[in-house]
Amino acid sequence: MDMVRGDSDFNSASVNGLPSIIAAAHELKSPLALVRQLSLTLEDGQVSASEQKKMLRQISLTSERALRLTSDLTKSARLSDAMFKLEPINPQQLCEDIVYELKPLFDAHGRGFRLVSRKHPLLLVANRDLLRRIIMNFSDNALHYTDGNTAIEIQIRALNAGKTIRLGVRDFGPALSGDMWRSLRGKLVNSTTPVHARPQSSGLGLYIAGQFADVMNGKVGVTRHRDGATFYVDLQASSQLSLL
Amino acid sequence: MSVPKILIVEDDKWLAQQHARILNGAGYKPTVTLNAIEAIQSVDDEVPDAIILDVLLTGNTAFALMHELQSYGDTGEIPIILCTNLAADLSLDDLAPYGVRQIIDKATMVPDDIVTALRRVLL
Repeated sequence: MDMVRGDSDFNSASVNGLPSIIAAAHELKSPLALVRQLSLTLEDGQVSASEQKKMLRQISLTSERALRLTSDLTKSARLSDAMFKLEPINPQQLCEDIVYELKPLFDAHGRGFRLVSRKHPLLLVANRDLLRRIIMNFSDNALHYTDGNTAIEIQIRALNAGKTIRLGVRDFGPALSGDMWRSLRGKLVNSTTPVHARPQSSGLGLYIAGQFADVMNGKVGVTRHRDGATFYVDLQASSQLSLL
Repeated sequence: MSVPKILIVEDDKWLAQQHARILNGAGYKPTVTLNAIEAIQSVDDEVPDAIILDVLLTGNTAFALMHELQSYGDTGEIPIILCTNLAADLSLDDLAPYGVRQIIDKATMVPDDIVTALRRVLL
């Protein structure tokens, strides 16, 4: 069992206003710059057919990543205007769908991506679309802000005697340094602006995930391990099964 | 004449591959590392002729790496080209003491810009 150094929730970062335009621009710059570089190289025509195929695939997957962020931003900006239906959801099924959808992206990066299956199914109360966006966001984050060839796992756990369900995305990359972790925890307690848990991230994804969780009466947070981190969302368990 | 060895430090694996592809085509010998720790290990193994360095890396940033390189006589002399999305916020004058010779903006560069920059700093 990994030593857990502490949990922190991100909801304090999501209470004031919309994410800044600067943070959005920063997050979008990297994928767009990569797409541009690959396109310019393809235009030049000096690459082999197999390289061309690989680069086109990278362009598609990187564009999809950028589009997911823009779609989340739009959703985030309209949260206050919309009603979101909360319903009992089987998180295992939802996570299986996410693994299926993101597998090509992880494969292209040479990274493993799997769901740690549960023997006994759980139900939680959530909005399917928002929950899906949160887990996709954490998975993107784990893929792009950890390095090495380690796998990434989605985990589902019951907490508080089954009253809370935690969906976590566990990475096994290098852990945050002690200084960075102390700084992050301080910001989580005090900040009303986007918080970044990775040095090269603006924290926009976490900010948006926190907003989505708020709408579902949940909270997002991070657990630091000796060999990585778990970004999680806690949601209320559904009592539907016990009523059957 | 030996082939110049270039260390690429870039945490976006696909962009790092892209830089390596361009440098290979231009006759350089690139080595890719994805973070500052790997970069230090690579420099320990073989001192490169120049480093192409992203600023925001997983774990330690470029500044920690540059500070470490400046701590030693031989590595402190390695010319560094920053290739970053933060170019607009950085000043070459401020960073010159860290061995930075040129700053390239990832958002506006063309692929060959890293080759042009290398030719300039390796003169």
